[in-house]
Amino acid sequence: MSAPAPAPAEQSSRRLRFERIPMRRIILIVLSVSIIYGVVAGSTATLRTGVFTAEDWQSLFINGLARGSVYALIAIGYTLVYGILFMINFAHGEVFMAGVYTAYFVAVAFAGNGFLNSNPLLSIAILLLVSMAVSVFIAVLLERLAYRPLRGAPRLVPLITAIGASFFLQYTFRGFYGANVRAYPTIEILQGKWTIFGIQMLKTQAIVIVAALFLWFLLYLFVARTKTGRSMRAVGEDREIASLMGINVDRTIVATFAIGGALAGAAGILYVFLFNQVIFTMGFLPGIKAFTAAVLGGIGSITGAAMGGLILGILEAVGPNLFLTGAEVPSPNQLQPVIAFGILVLVLIFLPGGFLGASEEKRA
Amino acid sequence: MNLRSALKPGFVGGIVVVYLSAIGMVERFQDRNVITGLVGLGVVLMLVAFAITSYTAARKSDSSLLTGVAVGFISGAFVAIVTMGFEGLINAGLDVRGMFVSITPGLLETLEFGLNPVVGAFMMVVASTAVGAVSGVLVGLEYHLRSAVVFAIGITLLMSLGEPILRVTLGNLQIPTGWLYELGGLTIAGTIIVLALAFGLRWWWMSRADTRREAAAQMPEATRRTWGRASLMAAIVALVALPWIVGPFVSDVLGTVGLYVLLGLGLNIVVGYAGLLDLGYVAFFAVGAYAAAIFTSPASFLVTEEGQQFAEAGFTNLWVALPFVVIIAVVIGAAIGAPVLRLRGDYLAIVTLGFGEIIRTLVLSDWLSPYLGGAQGLTRVPAAPPSSFDLRNPQHIYYLILAFSLIAAYISYRLVDSRVGRAWAAMREDEDVAEAMGISVVRYKLLAFAMGAGVGSLGGVFFAAKIGSIFPNSFGLQVSINVLAVIILGGIGSIPGVIVGAAALVGLPELLREFGEFRLLIYGAILIAIMIFRPEGLLPNKRRQRELHEGQDLAAVDLTKEGPS
Repeated sequence: MSAPAPAPAEQSSRRLRFERIPMRRIILIVLSVSIIYGVVAGSTATLRTGVFTAEDWQSLFINGLARGSVYALIAIGYTLVYGILFMINFAHGEVFMAGVYTAYFVAVAFAGNGFLNSNPLLSIAILLLVSMAVSVFIAVLLERLAYRPLRGAPRLVPLITAIGASFFLQYTFRGFYGANVRAYPTIEILQGKWTIFGIQMLKTQAIVIVAALFLWFLLYLFVARTKTGRSMRAVGEDREIASLMGINVDRTIVATFAIGGALAGAAGILYVFLFNQVIFTMGFLPGIKAFTAAVLGGIGSITGAAMGGLILGILEAVGPNLFLTGAEVPSPNQLQPVIAFGILVLVLIFLPGGFLGASEEKRA
Repeated sequence: MNLRSALKPGFVGGIVVVYLSAIGMVERFQDRNVITGLVGLGVVLMLVAFAITSYTAARKSDSSLLTGVAVGFISGAFVAIVTMGFEGLINAGLDVRGMFVSITPGLLETLEFGLNPVVGAFMMVVASTAVGAVSGVLVGLEYHLRSAVVFAIGITLLMSLGEPILRVTLGNLQIPTGWLYELGGLTIAGTIIVLALAFGLRWWWMSRADTRREAAAQMPEATRRTWGRASLMAAIVALVALPWIVGPFVSDVLGTVGLYVLLGLGLNIVVGYAGLLDLGYVAFFAVGAYAAAIFTSPASFLVTEEGQQFAEAGFTNLWVALPFVVIIAVVIGAAIGAPVLRLRGDYLAIVTLGFGEIIRTLVLSDWLSPYLGGAQGLTRVPAAPPSSFDLRNPQHIYYLILAFSLIAAYISYRLVDSRVGRAWAAMREDEDVAEAMGISVVRYKLLAFAMGAGVGSLGGVFFAAKIGSIFPNSFGLQVSINVLAVIILGGIGSIPGVIVGAAALVGLPELLREFGEFRLLIYGAILIAIMIFRPEGLLPNKRRQRELHEGQDLAAVDLTKEGPS
């Protein structure tokens, strides 16, 4: 992108001209002022009503942290792919869905013969493996069939393909597994609450947060230390030169998709710990939100994706209640998607590089 | 030929057929007769998949017949083995349907041609090998002959699939159809006649191709233009006469197609001309529909208590509301666009998608339900006066949609080479250079966005008028994707492309109820396939085509197109 255009009025001073009104700037200022006013006024009004106790806020916060961890893991898939190919893998949400949805049938089989609750840790490990394997498979297949033929095409071409792939995958799995919502069987050791540092939280929430942190750390080490990780960064920096340096670009790209898929598959299992349900459309919203998270943290940055995920999760859980209850908006949690998308729009307008990403100029 | 070159396409063919079966497409399509008493659409689908894989493989090989046979054999064997495998699993008492809901006894029966499993498997291999052999032979045929055969088969399929329209239409024209159609499919005699006729026509047409080309080349420019204009007029006359020929049901479908043509033309300005990928186009469609409903419905919040006593009248009537609705949409479009249009293409796409979802969430929310009706939607959108022109009558509203589509098409057509259109083209090809040449990029983007919004809202108004009540569920992301698929299939930036795209993607599925649940699957597949194999679409816009094939040999691109016809 170019810098803001210089004012043309200076150059053509031949005849008198009104200075052009900077519409865009005015709209932006009005927008930011009204949003800040709305957030502050809504929050103070909510806090004044005292509908929520400190414990409520705590549990909302933990809730946000947990779902934010899931977003963070999915967001890493977007960020890795974007960092290398500069394309938005719009179908990544479906990669996430494919894994958990397939693992569901394993879970049901395990629940049927009692294995799930007699060997809970082993069965969770198997579920994770199945989910990750399926997601990796789908991600790699997607790269091979849909994206690889389009390397070097104009930028919007792979994006349109990705959108097509997203719908194609959704309805493929609808065809395979049916259109119903299915509930994951309950795992007994995950029920109940723990009190950690004096804060009560659901066991599942604690596990999700810890597991996500652990996976994120593993990934960080992988990208920073291993040879594949280094070639991923090199390919992201300059594909041609990387290939001249003896890096197998195709294999590196496949590895990137596979890692993103594996994390999405793991995120899927964590997601059902929290939300318990699977359906073929389940990938869409988490996918978009994870993309928002990736943009929020600065697309291309792994730490940014994690941060963005957590921030988005918290804003989404706490935000509607905090900002909207005081404004007497009925059922504020219905408006959660508005918060997520609103953040996406605002970040892109005001901070297109995200918190930790490279500046917009460099990426373009 | 070595066998290994047949192995991969063979497996691909097999996997494709197994996939089509596992998502339920084969069984669902089998309900429909292609040739009554002989084959259903499900079997045809399988055979076409076999044919395409063996044909493409055979074309690459130097011994086409052998390759075709080998590929067909391998595909068929693969499918047969998988079928027997599932049969075995089910016999072993495994609950296959607990996971793959589409693997039903009905499907297995189709895959076994209604015979017992072993004979059925054998039949599958025989059928696929035969199809492979035919494909191999086709590759070896001389061009004219091959083209005529493929054309004849294609036309026969279309005639069969078009049964719902054609039978009604022919009936309206007092032409008997009993000899041609039976139970939703072609009769055997009808099939033979259609095949022969189509083959003969194509053969005759192609044998005269050279003379025709010469005549066209010799024709003076003025005559050619007259001919062009005359055929355009004829097309418009045909469009006007259409609803009375095809009857109310098909007119309803035509209305829907027209609606998508209108939406497509609007999105085409944004995506095709200005090069901005807008994934939230449904937002403007929703704005149009909701604004129209609020202005006209007696249930709207604009109508006061006293007003409601005046029976079915809303705040105002549709004709008065129309310009205001469009102005509202244009303003909203500009307001949404202004802050985000500086963003780079792919970010812009996601942001617009976000706007679409925000609007849908807001419409659904309890918060705005006093104004927008929430999940209950807005009902009782009244028909507009005069009562002799009934918007609920599919044949009437078709004309309204047709008129506005023609206007939109004309405006789009005039825009392309106008100052604005050239600015858009420059911007699309290189934003920085365009800006350096003195084009105010943001202003022109905003103009495109606002124009697209206006046309989209018109679509929404007619949608509301046509249906009579609107619900939030009609305004999901899939509408945006439908419209996008329409313009991409037809060719981004091409006006005839929009029409063809809408007819193929909206018209066909409406007529083939079997497509219903696979609609978005097919759209997704089309988006992928078009982007990979023919990004300029079926009826490309010349300039766009050059942009997409920059750096490639242009002559090679042009050769893939058909000659003038």
